[in-house]
Amino acid sequence: MQKRVVSLWFERLPSERVLRARPVDAPFALTHHQKNADRIYCLNPEAERAGLHRGMGFSDARAFCRDLQSRPADINADAQFLHMLARWSKRYCPWVGLEGRDGLVLTIAGSAHLFGGEEALLDDMRLRLARSGIGARIGLGDTRGAAWAMAHYGPGGICTQTDLTALPIAALRLDEKTLTGLQRLGIRTIADIIALPRATITRRFGRDVLLRLDQALGDQSEDISPLSEDPHYGVRMTLPEPIGLTGDVMAGTERLLTSLCAKLKINEKGARILLLVLRRVDQGNQQVELRLAQPLRDAARILPLFERGVDNVDAGFGIDQMRLVATQVENLPTQQMNHISGQKEGKLDDLITRIGVRIGLENVQRFLPADSHIPERSFIVSPAAYSRPEGAWITMQPRPLRLFPPEAITAHGPHPPARFHWRRMPLTTGRATGPERIAPEWWIVDDNWRSGVRDYWKVDTKEGQRLWLFYTPQSPNWYVQGEFA
Amino acid sequence: MIEVNHEHRPVEAFERDRFWVEPGEHGYAELCTTTNFTFLTGASHPEELILRAAELGLAAIAITDRNSLAGVVRAYSALKELKREATEAIGIRSSQTMDSSSRQQFGHSVELARPDGARLPKLIVGCRLVLRNSPVDWIALPQDRPAYARLSRLLTLGKRRAQKGECHLDLADVLEGCAGIILVALPQGDIHAKHVQKHIQAAIRRFPGHVFLGAAPKYNGQDQAYLNACANLARRTSAPMVAVGDALMHHASRRQLADVLTCIREHITIDEIGTRALPNAERRLKGAADMARMFRNHPAAIRRTFEITARCGFCLSELSYEYPDEIGDTETPQMRLTRLAYEGLERRYPNGPTDKALAQVEKELVLVEKLKFPAYFLTVHDIVQFARSQGILCQGRGSAANSILCYLLGITDVSPEVITMVVERFVSEHRGEPPDIDVDFEHERREEVIQHIYEKYGRHRAGLCATVIHFRSRAAIKEVGKVMGLSQDVTANLSGQIWGMSNGGADPERIRELGLDPNDKRLAQTIRLIGEIIGFPRHLSQHVGGFIITKGRLDELCPIENAAMEDRTTIEWDKDDIDALNILKVDILSLGMLTCIRKCFDLIETHNGGERLSIDRVPQADSPTYDMLCIADAVGVFQVESRAQMNFLPRMRPREFYDLVIEVAIVRPGPIQGGMVHPYINRRQGKESVSFPSEALEKVLGKTLGVPLFQEQAMQIAIVAAGFTPEEADKLRRSMATFRRMGTIGLLRDKFIAGMLERGYEPTFAERCFSQIEGFGEYGFPESHAAAFAMLTYVSSWLKCHHPAVFACGLLNSQPMGFYAPAQIVRDAREHQVEVRPICVNNSAWDNTLERRPDDSLALRLGFRQIKGFREEDAGWIVATRGNGYPDPESLWQRAGIGPSVLERLADADAFSDMGLGRRNALWHVKAIRGQQPLPLFNDSIEGEGIHEPSVDLPAMHLGEEVVEDYVAMRLSLRAHPMELLRPDMPNLTPHAALTNAPLGRTVVCGLVITRQRPGTASGVVFLTLEDETGVSNVVVWRKVYEQFRRVVMGGRLLRVTGYLQREGIVVHLIAQHIEDMSHRLSDLGHPMDDAIGITQPQADDAPRPPRHPPRARHPREQAKRLFPSRDFH
Repeated sequence: MQKRVVSLWFERLPSERVLRARPVDAPFALTHHQKNADRIYCLNPEAERAGLHRGMGFSDARAFCRDLQSRPADINADAQFLHMLARWSKRYCPWVGLEGRDGLVLTIAGSAHLFGGEEALLDDMRLRLARSGIGARIGLGDTRGAAWAMAHYGPGGICTQTDLTALPIAALRLDEKTLTGLQRLGIRTIADIIALPRATITRRFGRDVLLRLDQALGDQSEDISPLSEDPHYGVRMTLPEPIGLTGDVMAGTERLLTSLCAKLKINEKGARILLLVLRRVDQGNQQVELRLAQPLRDAARILPLFERGVDNVDAGFGIDQMRLVATQVENLPTQQMNHISGQKEGKLDDLITRIGVRIGLENVQRFLPADSHIPERSFIVSPAAYSRPEGAWITMQPRPLRLFPPEAITAHGPHPPARFHWRRMPLTTGRATGPERIAPEWWIVDDNWRSGVRDYWKVDTKEGQRLWLFYTPQSPNWYVQGEFA
Repeated sequence: MIEVNHEHRPVEAFERDRFWVEPGEHGYAELCTTTNFTFLTGASHPEELILRAAELGLAAIAITDRNSLAGVVRAYSALKELKREATEAIGIRSSQTMDSSSRQQFGHSVELARPDGARLPKLIVGCRLVLRNSPVDWIALPQDRPAYARLSRLLTLGKRRAQKGECHLDLADVLEGCAGIILVALPQGDIHAKHVQKHIQAAIRRFPGHVFLGAAPKYNGQDQAYLNACANLARRTSAPMVAVGDALMHHASRRQLADVLTCIREHITIDEIGTRALPNAERRLKGAADMARMFRNHPAAIRRTFEITARCGFCLSELSYEYPDEIGDTETPQMRLTRLAYEGLERRYPNGPTDKALAQVEKELVLVEKLKFPAYFLTVHDIVQFARSQGILCQGRGSAANSILCYLLGITDVSPEVITMVVERFVSEHRGEPPDIDVDFEHERREEVIQHIYEKYGRHRAGLCATVIHFRSRAAIKEVGKVMGLSQDVTANLSGQIWGMSNGGADPERIRELGLDPNDKRLAQTIRLIGEIIGFPRHLSQHVGGFIITKGRLDELCPIENAAMEDRTTIEWDKDDIDALNILKVDILSLGMLTCIRKCFDLIETHNGGERLSIDRVPQADSPTYDMLCIADAVGVFQVESRAQMNFLPRMRPREFYDLVIEVAIVRPGPIQGGMVHPYINRRQGKESVSFPSEALEKVLGKTLGVPLFQEQAMQIAIVAAGFTPEEADKLRRSMATFRRMGTIGLLRDKFIAGMLERGYEPTFAERCFSQIEGFGEYGFPESHAAAFAMLTYVSSWLKCHHPAVFACGLLNSQPMGFYAPAQIVRDAREHQVEVRPICVNNSAWDNTLERRPDDSLALRLGFRQIKGFREEDAGWIVATRGNGYPDPESLWQRAGIGPSVLERLADADAFSDMGLGRRNALWHVKAIRGQQPLPLFNDSIEGEGIHEPSVDLPAMHLGEEVVEDYVAMRLSLRAHPMELLRPDMPNLTPHAALTNAPLGRTVVCGLVITRQRPGTASGVVFLTLEDETGVSNVVVWRKVYEQFRRVVMGGRLLRVTGYLQREGIVVHLIAQHIEDMSHRLSDLGHPMDDAIGITQPQADDAPRPPRHPPRARHPREQAKRLFPSRDFH
């Protein structure tokens, strides 16, 4: 059967994706940061009319066009959007592949009559795309090459042999160098190439030109690889009799978990978030969500973590169906086992998960070192489940164990006061060491450091507290900022 | 707006009430400072540190850069200047503008109060030795001249071992070569480390009494503990402890800059700097009170700084410098000089010398003997002799070059009859300053001369000066912008926008134009930091040709390091430093025009036969040559080919050699700024009567019609009219060059004007005289300079006038040089009826050649060197295996071994047309050759293995395509000018040739941009030269119009300009009103690579270079449209 291929080219896919969410009635461009320079990645027709083009430096563009609006490009989101379009286009045929970053290719042979013929199919496609605000150039031909050529270099629509040969050679998907080489020889259209003796072309430009030509003309086959479906990590079990005991549910969960973990293992994945859905006989759903501190596919380790959640389930009149889905998975390559690996760390992660189940995984946090002289900025706090402990804390200077927002005390002069009140405690200075002068990081605006340079003193009080005081010489005041152990 | 930064408030003010300790009676001497000559580390100029030290009243300051002595001379000069000013009681200008290192001015100058108590600090020369294998840095402070020599040799040793800019030294080297040098150990990192003690003890065993332990406070809250630890270590190692500041900057406000420098060094942005930033601004130069407070428990450490200061007795002025003698066996240098001078007298004056010449020789010989410079003259003479013997053309210039001795020794060819001799100018007795002779050599063969000098004197005695590369605005914007997180396109535009504004910083209007917010705090900080970093040294590079030659070892004078170029070594000091220390140098410079002239002489010798010409044998006072210059027919002629000069020539109407001297000197920034051009030209054209304010001045200014044009005249005016002594006049000259950096000219100004008024001159005249002298600044020419250049101007115009083909050929073969691109040179040659023949594989050589035509005139055959990216080696093979010519491209591949890519280049250049192959067919043929080398079995096509291809009918190339192809391959076309092809589609244009007769009024022209200039002297006016098929037009873009069409003016290749005509004599200007970028029309020529047309020469184009983006990045559909201008798919 004759192949019929549709090539869709979404000329402005990235900008249209953004503009669909938030329309802009002015020149608009997406910028992409590359090699330390912002360049225009995609733009709308208004911007193009203002003389901008892709690849132009963004600051140039802004100078050309004062009212240019812009957003940074999100290439991943664009790719996702293209996948979405691919899914959508399965309404026309089951065989859909991607064409670069901004196109789709469909094999519609055998399915066109469902829409009342090819013309009608194309019209339907155009109409639906236009309605949703996506501009597309559509070509239809006997081969992938012809359809592509028609979409990119032709007027669009159905491509006949004559249409194809009148197109410029750029429509053959050749590389820039070959293209220029051919153009310099005066070969402009596909017809010009066809007219040349074949051997002479291969001798000069390699096989690629003829390959592309034959692919376009249908003398060489070209495959279209359809998109594969992502594997689904979910298992379910329907029970002949409703169950209600925790032990039963756990037993069921164990079975589900074992088969889910086997599936994860085949794909070298680990579950990060698991959702156990329990359907009751009265159709009510009970859900147990489990967030893990690290990707896992070890049923024996995961199962105990479900205990608490399952405990809280209200089984009502009984549960007759169980479903376990890994809603978030991460790569977890198979690893060589040895006698030390994974023992200790795994336990900590299990603990984090265990605590996380109770108080929320995000609330389990850890300190990480940060590179700064400013005490408040010399550490960061981040969720323990999503960060690795950093190697070493290198501190040149002794820092207090507890650091709190500065608390003002009354004192005068640049020397630590002999007596002062802090948190309503009268304190007497025993030994004071310092000053350590820390100046604000000038490149950051930090309101806490508005008072300027700080002279830090370590003050051992006779009452026993060892405090970290500072003095701000540029607006004379004293504060306590921390307490040593 | 810049927010008030608390950093800028003097923290010292708050400190004062902290622990107020009375400054010790002795004060303090700083022994460790890092200047910005420790590149990308130190955050202050040496001058700033000296000035700050003086303000703080320090007893001494040591400049100790990391493995380098590069900054010490700056400090020395600054101190000398301070001393001089202290004695002359002239206020010191603020450190903010005292940017002597770059000779640039920025910021506002602030008058500083003179430091109380005129005691200036003593300068200690030294360096910080950072070793490869030691946890201790050593501050090395030489005690006397021999110790200094040892230090210099030690550094040379380390530098010659390493790559450029690095120094590899080990502890063993220090223990070997540091006798007599005081070493202060600065432990890095953990002071308790085992090696620290071991290394210090090793040093102290080797140099007892010379090793100290430096204790530098760290300002981290544990200083007292640290100092106690130091004291402990000092006891254990028995190296006495001494206080050092380890200053990185002269003032706390430089902390930000220091952080930025750290970022540049580490290739990070400021947000990534983290703990690599300075925690505070305490590493600044501190006064005695601060140090006494810090060392309150160790007062001896402060006292010891004086002990060391007292022991360091070395001063840079001791660098007694001996010039190498050129001793014959029995002759002293003076005798030899005298003999050579009299021999020269016979040669130069075949009819017997004039009395005047004789007297001059006598006078100069006496003077030279007295000042002990005969060896210097002989050295230059010997170098020139060597060049002559190798057939290398050379010519001397510089202040000493206008002595009759130089003329007699053959160093210059300008007869001293022509120009005024001012002996005081070249060697003034009191100044003790060395004379200055620069010698220009052919640019292609200068390296031979340089290697000869190395060979003759040895690397241990001869070295090139360094040039300090400073942050200029462009680099500053780029680097600081990167650190502060501006993206590259923003910084590129920022530097693009300040085009022509050199170092003035950025204008808010421009910033807004870039779409940035000038009120943004980060940006304001960035811009301020850019302003601060401009003028900072960045690295050392080699000077273009300043040679130092010594009698003794050069490496005992100054450290020598490897240059980036192979076989070159440079010293660490630059030209100014050398001058400051009164060290003689010979400038071995290169000049493209000399290459061109030599090549022309060669060509004339081979083609016209007969005697070989030389510069002094070219017929003088040739009237056709002057006629040619009068109509500004000067493309390619030395010095007078620029647009300003070409406009000036018809007004000047030069008739004799001295006119050329003036012509060369007058169109320079100095005289233009000084306002000399108009008075002179008015007087010359007789519009203004020539009058002199006094008879005395008539003598001085007679030759230049009463307008001072040369540096010598400025000095003489000061002597004659203002009553200056020659000594003072010389000081005036020097401050003319330096007034911008120290601001000392004010006093001289008062004296000058008072002197003139006293002698009865008009106040307005006096003012004008002085402002003219000021205008010279650095841009004025000495007369001898101008005369030397004028000689080359004359010779090149004589060649152009009488041998146009030869001249064009010589010019093309000496590229890159001069102002115009090959396209313009070829065009000019054709306008002078020279037949230009295209490149041809069967006739061309690498160089352009001359061919005899049937009518006995010469035709210019373009050579392979005109093909872009062609290698000389390939050209050599083509010529060598040519035999009776190549029948087809394959034979070239087989016989000459030319690879396919080179064959393709030849085809692109249409070099196969001789074989009956058009460009397209040639390309088709050549494309078939894929292998690099012919295969041995198949290389004989007659054997029958040859592939018989079906013949192919390629569409013929139309003219537009051919022209583009020509430009792509050779940047020039002999077929047609692109404008000629585009003109039918662009109505209402006036061709350039018609401009001379066109009615004055609104006119539209269109052409390719060939020059684009924005002289600093013209207050924002841009001069464009456009070219079409009929000639060139001069477009003047006034500032306002420029602002409006900025982007077009800067970036356009083909411009359509609407404006009104102005005509003055034969000079026609178009004053632009509207400018349109027509570059896109070039794609109408129907070729995909039209962007090869209209690329200007960098020297003729002041526009910033890189803003062009390759059009390839455009949309594919654009590409399609370019190919099919008539079809549109919308």
